Amino acid sequence: MRQLLIDLFSFEDRPRFEKLGFLIFIIIVLVFPWIVKSAYGRAVMIKFLLFALFGLGWNLIGGYGGQVDLGQAKNVGFGAYATGLMMLWWGTPFWVTVPVGMVIAAAESFGVAYPMFRLKGHYFAIATLCVALVWKELFVFWDWTGGARGVEIPIRPTPNFTYMQFGSPIHYHYFIFFLFITQLLFMNWFRKSKLGYECQAVRENEDVAASLGINVYRTKVIAYTITGGLGAVGGSFMTVYYLYIDPDFVMPLDLSILIAMTVMVGGAGSIWGPIIGAALLIPLDMYLGAWLGAQKRLGIDFMIYALIMMVIAAREPKGIWGIIERVRKKRME
Amino acid sequence: MLLEVKNLVKEFGGLVANSDISLEVEEGRIVGLIGPNGAGKTTLFNCIAGYYRPTRGKIFFGGEEITGWPPHHVAKIGIARTFQGMKTLPNLTVEENVMIGAFCRTHERERARRDAHEVMELLAIREEANALPKELPIALQKRIELARALATKPRLLMLDEIAAGLNPLETKEILQTLKRIKEERGLTLFLTEHVMEFIMTLSEMVMVMAAGRKIAEGPPEEVAREPKVIEAYLGERYAQG
Amino acid sequence: MELTVQLIIYGILMGLVFALIALGLSLIFGVMNIVNFAHGEFLMVGMYIAYLLSTFLHFDPIISLPLAAMAGYLLGIMSYYVLIHHILRGPMVAQLFGTFGLMLFLRYLAMYIFTPDVRSIKTGILVGKVLTLGWVSLDLSKVISAGVCLISFGLVYWMIYRTKLGRALRATSIDSEAAQYMGIDTKKMNALAWGIGGATVALAGSLLAHFYYITPTVGMLFTLIAFAIVALGGFGSITGAFLAGMIIGLIMVLSGHLVSELKFTFIYIVYFLVVVFRPRGLFGW
Repeated sequence: MRQLLIDLFSFEDRPRFEKLGFLIFIIIVLVFPWIVKSAYGRAVMIKFLLFALFGLGWNLIGGYGGQVDLGQAKNVGFGAYATGLMMLWWGTPFWVTVPVGMVIAAAESFGVAYPMFRLKGHYFAIATLCVALVWKELFVFWDWTGGARGVEIPIRPTPNFTYMQFGSPIHYHYFIFFLFITQLLFMNWFRKSKLGYECQAVRENEDVAASLGINVYRTKVIAYTITGGLGAVGGSFMTVYYLYIDPDFVMPLDLSILIAMTVMVGGAGSIWGPIIGAALLIPLDMYLGAWLGAQKRLGIDFMIYALIMMVIAAREPKGIWGIIERVRKKRME
Repeated sequence: MLLEVKNLVKEFGGLVANSDISLEVEEGRIVGLIGPNGAGKTTLFNCIAGYYRPTRGKIFFGGEEITGWPPHHVAKIGIARTFQGMKTLPNLTVEENVMIGAFCRTHERERARRDAHEVMELLAIREEANALPKELPIALQKRIELARALATKPRLLMLDEIAAGLNPLETKEILQTLKRIKEERGLTLFLTEHVMEFIMTLSEMVMVMAAGRKIAEGPPEEVAREPKVIEAYLGERYAQG
Repeated sequence: MELTVQLIIYGILMGLVFALIALGLSLIFGVMNIVNFAHGEFLMVGMYIAYLLSTFLHFDPIISLPLAAMAGYLLGIMSYYVLIHHILRGPMVAQLFGTFGLMLFLRYLAMYIFTPDVRSIKTGILVGKVLTLGWVSLDLSKVISAGVCLISFGLVYWMIYRTKLGRALRATSIDSEAAQYMGIDTKKMNALAWGIGGATVALAGSLLAHFYYITPTVGMLFTLIAFAIVALGGFGSITGAFLAGMIIGLIMVLSGHLVSELKFTFIYIVYFLVVVFRPRGLFGW
């Protein structure tokens, strides 16, 4: 038990500048709402934390597991709809809906993982795309989920901790920060766990991993299942933050792409990668869009990001974090 | 008898890679497997280690039948192997490479780390624990692979061309290393090799394969003189000089 | 009965268009073992070119189609030399990133230039005309598209199997190292594969523009359709791409008739089932 807590919170094995950097980051985030008062600034920070959250979960299968999954949005959707529908139909408290969403996402992921992991590389990636698209189109097609009209969450007097509805962004800020920290600590535990090591071995070389006693297939399935469950958490948050969800909002292809892209550019397979990636993309997206005028200049941010991605593909597949590590290594010599 | 292979046949479509192979490896011995390229040695290895399912025949380990078992099962029961070419896990440190082997026998990270360091010490690579394998010379990388396999606490260690790419000095070193770890860990070694001096010096017994069949078996000096063996190697024999 | 025949004919017509779309993907994969995530974006480029040429310059399809194909060719070659060549030797993840990044770039470039608004070609000789054969009436644009695609497919097939250049291409796809030893410039072959891939799919796009919606996001849809076809036909097999294209075309039209909103969903499901249960497809390696 004690060891578990240590593993959860300890960053002992990371170099000092990382621990320092992380500490500074946490402090900045904690005091942020008191320093930045603009509604837009606060919204950007919340979105950043949300995508860092998404990235952390995706990093498990995509980074540590090495299996590029382009369908994470379906898990986000499962979480969002579990929360949305349960709250709408039965008035279920938020924190009850979260595990339900996670279980649904994990169960679906588990079921689809078995056939899907017969595939590798590109074909696996495309299959994940297909699965996510099929689910999205089903959610649009079905009436009981609200179809294309979506689900609207009834407005309640704030602050409301049962349904996590608040009047001011400050509450949402700490709310999403809490979720983010939780998943970060979980990933911190994961990367040091036997499963974490096994995933990485599988990523590096499946034959070698098998020769060391690792059940490659089962490891991939478990990693994918967990990522599914983690993705749902962010979806549940989206429901109560935006108070409205529909398949094009919570489950579109673009969201899957964005999540994967954030982590890959930031540095897949490292604990900080998702945070770096989100820190780069989300403000870029939100501020560039606002500066250039949202409607007419849609797309430049993604174009820049796509260029970064292509350059990284050609030069440093380990992403920005990979570049940082390389520089650090050079300095040490 | 630690490892027994009975009438193993492995076919790939129309191609017969292994034909009616039977062999026995006694516990505590060092057995070598030689043969010209394409003789089917690696196929045999892969069948034993679980990467291929034999078309026919049976394999026994420690009396238990393991025919068709998947690789991770075979590893758990005590057969470790190395791979042809450099198969270190490239983006993980030396320590992490070996720890993954150690995780075969434990769930706890600290235990895995301790076991890994023990093995790294045995193979004199402990100093490089935090390096990445690709930064290290080939001879060291071979020791990393050995350490990793050893960390799974095997009874039988199968080596696929471990001496490939090493200069004579390094070959001698790895020969000594193997002898040492065998004694220290009470291992049985089953290895396949092209570097003749290495395998003939190390092995107590040698089997020869050619064209998918076993054509000779016995102590190294006897096997080297057998006409069938010389014939199978005719071209390579001259190349060896 | 008449409806069924009509549907089947449409399925075949669409199938021919799909076959051409899938051809490029199959060729690129065959020659250099890389999967092009940006395939559908080249199609999208072809669509917009046809749209621009016909709406603003009032070019006839006779002119706009070859221009679109040429643009696709150039785009393919450029993509190869600027990006693909540098990621070919890298790890698979890097290759995935690379073509993925290219896809994103083209998609959002289009979104930036054209905005997400849906467009269509409203004038021109191919628009709105109906061909009536007996009791069957067909959109002229679809018939012509199918015809052009069939001819183009045949041309590429002929080029690959009956010309010296094609032989060089095939040699590169079988064993690029050996091909190099025989004096074949594999870099040029790779670029050519990308050029042909780009040209054929842009041509298909320029045809589609006459009867399908034009948006910046349409690329992914056709990438997935192409994938489903190539998976079904077998990666690397050209005949496979043709037959599978027809099958997928039929599936789309028939399922679209049954449940209109899910017509593409069925294609995704087909892809999934094929790669899981018969990864080699019908004819592939």
